[in-house]
Amino acid sequence: MSAAASTARQDRRQLLIWLLPPLLWFTVFMLIPYCMLFYYSLGSTEYMTFKPGFSPANLIRVFRAEPYLSVLLKSARIGAFTAIGATILAYPVAFCLAFHTRSARAKFVIYLLVIVPWWAAYLVKAYAWKTILGTNGIINALLLDLHIIHEPLTLILYNQFSVVLTLVYIFTPFSILSIYAQLERIPTSIIEASSNLGATTFETLTKIIIPLSLPGVLAGAIITFALATGDFIAPALVGGPDAVMISNVVINLLGVAFDWPMAASIGIVVIGVGTALISVSQYLEHRAQARF
Amino acid sequence: MTPIIEARQLRKHYGGPLAVRDVSLAVNEGEFLSLLGASGSGKTTTLRLIAGLETPTQGTVLFRGRDITNVPVAQRDMRMVFQDFALFPNLTVWENVAFGLRLRINRGRVTSDQIKARVGQYLDTVQLSGHAAKMPHQLSGGQRQRVSLARALVTDPPVVLFDEPLGSLDANMRKVMQLELKRLHRELRKTFIYVTHDQEEAMGLSDRVAVLQDGQLLQLGTPDDIYFRPNCAAVANFIGAANVLQGVAEVAPGRPLGVQLTGGLRLAAADNAAGIANGEAVTIMLRAEQVRIAPAAGNTADGLRAQITERLFLGETVRYELDVPAAGLRLTAIAGGDHLRLSLGDDVIVTVDPRNVRVLPRGAGPRVDA
Repeated sequence: MSAAASTARQDRRQLLIWLLPPLLWFTVFMLIPYCMLFYYSLGSTEYMTFKPGFSPANLIRVFRAEPYLSVLLKSARIGAFTAIGATILAYPVAFCLAFHTRSARAKFVIYLLVIVPWWAAYLVKAYAWKTILGTNGIINALLLDLHIIHEPLTLILYNQFSVVLTLVYIFTPFSILSIYAQLERIPTSIIEASSNLGATTFETLTKIIIPLSLPGVLAGAIITFALATGDFIAPALVGGPDAVMISNVVINLLGVAFDWPMAASIGIVVIGVGTALISVSQYLEHRAQARF
Repeated sequence: MTPIIEARQLRKHYGGPLAVRDVSLAVNEGEFLSLLGASGSGKTTTLRLIAGLETPTQGTVLFRGRDITNVPVAQRDMRMVFQDFALFPNLTVWENVAFGLRLRINRGRVTSDQIKARVGQYLDTVQLSGHAAKMPHQLSGGQRQRVSLARALVTDPPVVLFDEPLGSLDANMRKVMQLELKRLHRELRKTFIYVTHDQEEAMGLSDRVAVLQDGQLLQLGTPDDIYFRPNCAAVANFIGAANVLQGVAEVAPGRPLGVQLTGGLRLAAADNAAGIANGEAVTIMLRAEQVRIAPAAGNTADGLRAQITERLFLGETVRYELDVPAAGLRLTAIAGGDHLRLSLGDDVIVTVDPRNVRVLPRGAGPRVDA
């Protein structure tokens, strides 16, 4: 055997050694669970015990039997509102960070302020909103003290609005970082060129900066949408009966009803829809991505 | 006539040393003026102050006699061509060129037919008519710079600013674009202010050159002035290859000015004798191509004996570094590449025409204060 061939073989073996841990991880924690999920979704239950089978009945039930489809759509709507809200809040922050923060220290501080809430547990943050929005919460107390209202508002907690609000608060950092990463790529000279050609700040924003930042906006929106749609803590804590989301349904099917095949079917549908959405958004991102 | 652009005592301070130190210059209508200097000389900052992309710490910028120091960039009648082209990556070539005009459509100053005609005309001018629908990233560097040029010219600004526009192009493309810029300037009769670190480019293109160093304007003059009559050693050293030497003037009635160099060598100098006293310390400049060398072997001509310590073949010319042991001097000489084939270590005879020995003015040059 030639020396070159032996080196090539050695290289391949080394590559395999490097790839083994991630491959193993992927197989054990992703591939096998997905297969199991699919396997469970095709089965059925009898007297609260799982019975293996090969029937798509449960998958069809996700679309046919109430409340699955309507809860799924409601979750998607809450996810969409969250994505929109997070984008609206994140854009100015990312813009400031990218273009109006010259000193590295100020940049670091803002960056830190964006990240720091993530050091606190999610549950705590969701609970915080409960104390802000609740009947005896900060907002009601303030409005009562100011004599703007005479009895506590109940409209602001335990509904879809409070869920969206909480989710927006929690997931906005993802949008900020995603939009910021895209804005950061825009060379200063392009903005200077625009104003040099006579564009006002607003014209530069609408004609140049926003179109160029679209891929980041899209990427941020899809992350927040996905995270919010699948959330179960916010609806459980601040949601109330009106804001039950798909993950809460899955939890109930698993832990209360012991209907694993139905839970797995919902999981499969959510994964399928999610994959499709991410593919579409990736395609759009790619199309919107200007090459500098 | 009022200059179209005038900078008065412009100063820019970012923290640290001054980026621009009290630069004053006037640019005439239709002129091609270059700001020449090494990196960090303040040339780009000066241009950006004129464009309004930076605010001066002190000083004023005037446009046709009117103070525009506080006029925003978008309202100044100047267009800039950037070193990195700064094309809008989300717009096609056509849309890039039309950008400035389309902004005016909103303000009712131009119609969409006029835009079509003008954009077409300027794409023609820069020979890019066939590329109108392409995106900037599909073009070569030279083509991108043409787009950026067309984009700047299409709005018909009286002043066009260039920030090292050819800096990111390869050597051949630079030469092509230099000719193109020269042609455009001649045809359009606009005022061009051009920043470059390339002295040949500055000399070749400009009507006048402003030489900057450490934020200061050292000399402003025609390429001829800058080259043959530098006002200080810094300019002489920066432009071309020059021998700048220190010496003491020897003035005697009825005799031409002589300069006793530090090494003991005496040079006759024809020019600029007026006002220099006997025994005064002077700085002289001798252009490298005016240092004549000939093989020493079998040569009986009067001249300095020197030895070649370095030889650089540059194509059209050959650059020689010479060691003159008798005077403890090192000289640079440039000779035509065709007529002399001297080698490293050869002994040569050096002759200098007194008319080419230039005595530099006293007191000029960069200030050393903070």
